Amino acid sequence: MGTVSLRGVHKAYGSTTIVEHLDLDFPDGTFTVLVGPSGCGKSTTLRMIAGLEPVTSGTITINEADVTPLEPKDRNVAMVFQNYALYPHLSVAENIAFPLRATKTPKAEARKRAQEIAESLGLGQLTSRKPKELSGGQQQRVAIGRAIIREPAVFLFDEPLSNLDAKLRVETRSELLAIQKRLGVTSIYVTHDQEEAMTLSDRMVVMRDGKIAQVGTPAEVYGKPHSVFVATFVGSPKMNIMPGTLDGTTFHADLGVAWPLAHKDKGAVLVGIRPEDLNVGLDPQGPATITQIELLGPRAVVALEVAGTKLISVIESGPLAALSIGDRVNIAFDPNAAHLFDATTEERR
Amino acid sequence: MRAQGMMRGVRGIFLITALVVVGFPLVWVTLASFKTPAQLNDPSLIMFSPSLTNWAYVVEEGILQAAGRSALVAFITVAISAIAGSAAAYVISSYKAGGTATRFGILAAQVLPPAVLVFPFLTLAYVTQVNDTLIPLIFAHLSFVLPVVTWFLIGFFDSVPRSLEEQARVDGFSRFKAFLLVVLPQVYPGLGAAIIFGFTLSWNDMFYGLILTPTKSAILPVAIAGFNTFRGVELGSMSAAILVAVIPVLIASFFIQKRLVQGISGGAVKY
Amino acid sequence: MLLPLLVVAGIAVGLPLVYAFYLSLTDFSLTQQGVAQIVGADNYIASLTNEGLWGAIGTTFTYVIIAVSFETVIGLLIALSLQKQKWARDITRAMLLAPMFITPIAVGLTFRFLLNDQLGAIPYLLKSLGTNYDFLGSGKALFTLAMIDVWQWTPFMVLLLLAGLESIPKQPLEAARVDGANAVYIFRRITLPLLTPILSVAVLLRSLDALKVFEYVYATTRGGPGTETETIQYFTYQTGIQFFRLGEASSMAFILLLIVLPLIVFLFRRIDRRTSS
Repeated sequence: MGTVSLRGVHKAYGSTTIVEHLDLDFPDGTFTVLVGPSGCGKSTTLRMIAGLEPVTSGTITINEADVTPLEPKDRNVAMVFQNYALYPHLSVAENIAFPLRATKTPKAEARKRAQEIAESLGLGQLTSRKPKELSGGQQQRVAIGRAIIREPAVFLFDEPLSNLDAKLRVETRSELLAIQKRLGVTSIYVTHDQEEAMTLSDRMVVMRDGKIAQVGTPAEVYGKPHSVFVATFVGSPKMNIMPGTLDGTTFHADLGVAWPLAHKDKGAVLVGIRPEDLNVGLDPQGPATITQIELLGPRAVVALEVAGTKLISVIESGPLAALSIGDRVNIAFDPNAAHLFDATTEERR
Repeated sequence: MRAQGMMRGVRGIFLITALVVVGFPLVWVTLASFKTPAQLNDPSLIMFSPSLTNWAYVVEEGILQAAGRSALVAFITVAISAIAGSAAAYVISSYKAGGTATRFGILAAQVLPPAVLVFPFLTLAYVTQVNDTLIPLIFAHLSFVLPVVTWFLIGFFDSVPRSLEEQARVDGFSRFKAFLLVVLPQVYPGLGAAIIFGFTLSWNDMFYGLILTPTKSAILPVAIAGFNTFRGVELGSMSAAILVAVIPVLIASFFIQKRLVQGISGGAVKY
Repeated sequence: MLLPLLVVAGIAVGLPLVYAFYLSLTDFSLTQQGVAQIVGADNYIASLTNEGLWGAIGTTFTYVIIAVSFETVIGLLIALSLQKQKWARDITRAMLLAPMFITPIAVGLTFRFLLNDQLGAIPYLLKSLGTNYDFLGSGKALFTLAMIDVWQWTPFMVLLLLAGLESIPKQPLEAARVDGANAVYIFRRITLPLLTPILSVAVLLRSLDALKVFEYVYATTRGGPGTETETIQYFTYQTGIQFFRLGEASSMAFILLLIVLPLIVFLFRRIDRRTSS
């Protein structure tokens, strides 16, 4: 069992607020990802849950018990750091078994369990090696093994994949997810990479400037972003945002094109269209010009320019054949795929 | 390319000259320690049949006891310094404990002229009637070895990543246990160098030794100076005494040179 | 965890420091009977008007300037040579660094006899070349002592400068060589400026240490000829131990401390800036 709750958790240094009165729940067994740009407070939040950072005010409970005043060692959490923090003077087996020394587990049993875990992670042959003799991926697995052995209530991950190269990152991602599903331990994972957040999480918490911008499943956050910030942060390439006005039946974009869009509201608005929802078609009278084409295999990213504004479209490689840089195109989208945001608050309408 | 070859030649000659300059006095002292007074009168004598009279003499005169006392003082001083120093260096490095004032105090205590502290040590020793024993000397040596060892270690603790300690705390250990089991082992090489360096500093001191413990419990450097009597110098025995003091330290110094810089500069230069 | 250090330092440094100040305000003398009386600033006035003290200060500063200058230049040359050395690296370095680990009194006594007119090898060699040089004679003694300092402590400079040289990033140097700069130019415009931080730390550390010179004087000239080699620490030692005037000697030590304090502050600032960056 491992439920975590944050109530009014606030962290400030003097007049600088890092995390603002956070209320957050982490149900048992879920994989939650805290994601956001640098400085949004996600790492600080994680460290407060771990007990490495004291909270300025608010409470943190793990399994209904208030852990706010407790030292990390008394919270029954396990943490994996970005640089894995493996103990250089200990072997792989000793690293994995290390947490058991704190619980005074007898040496023989500790060694046995460490060996089992090492083997389940594919490290069985490496148990007597020192960390510096291992590759990045292997080191990371030792860090995970060390986290697993305590059978903690919660796993905490602080950007553990950032030190790996791209290909290894993708491989390790799915391994990590498989381990978590197998063990069913509540996991809280911090990353700045929105793609990582989307693929790993049961629930995403998008953070900005110390506050929660949106909480939801990846589908919810992607499909119904609450604000321009979330809409443009999640999803790559970024959502196109067009300022303009609504008159009830039509959207008149500031960049000079109008599209049918029926909506009860009238007045200034920001319309967001995901690149994959933005369709282009060859049209010598069209308002847009293709400025760049990036082929990504089955798809291509097409950069367009309309009256000085840049838009991005993602199209299948089939239709791509007909298009080249410099072509004039028209752009269209399904009105149901449009996301409307208030022009001033930038929140969803 | 020819200029490079010439440069290499110049460098080589320069270094060899330096080695000769360094080695010459040491070789001369070594030779002198095996010469009889008659042989000593001839400075040009290089080939001669060595005699051990000087060595026997210095042993008779208690040089080994003096060395033993030097070792005892150094050992106690370094032991206290290592324990207090590593704990302090750790919190100063990780948490900036004590702030600027403490760091400044540590630096100042190292470079303080001994003339400032020696007189109070002397008077306090008289007052508590421990003068001419090793006790005031240990305190006096602590006054500069402790700061040096602490300063030395701060540089090494600086290069241990914070996440190591945090990982240990999350893994179930208190801050102190985390320090003992995880952080301290990372600086063992630096600690070893600090201990050897501290030992050398204590072993080599003569100023405090001369003033605080001049006769009964004289330490080695003072004993060496004792061979410089108004009778004239017993050059041969003095040479032997010098070698007794110098050889252990030279051997020890070979082991610590790599770490010395990081320690001396207090971390200003990383190795 | 800072506590043990503070306790020990408090006893070993703090207490004596305060007591030393107290002493400097008394007329304490090892030979007198009765309790020492507080004489206020009398000792300080006596010291500040003591020609001998100012002479000693001047002598010491001359000594430090000569010794440290030589040590810096020679040390830099040795460090540069060692950096490029390929064969027998570690053993050469180990041997060249040896002198700084020897107890200074031994160095002083060794040189006293190496330079001795009758028994020493160096005068012998000089005579066989036809010249004569009175190393410890008037006008020459202080310089000779400075050279002894150079023999013992140049390795210290080499140690720090070598580390400084080895921590200079290679790219700027390689870029300059590709751009066609010659060795002297590279040294002056790139190496030296990058070396300046550690160089200044080394010079300050060495100077503060050289100010304390005592053993060489004690081993060789005992302050002579006349008062030519009376360094501050030796002069203070004489006042306190040979003449037993501890109160006065304490005041001299404090005056020395005041002179040295700005240097310590300066050194601290330089080191602290490096480590916190």
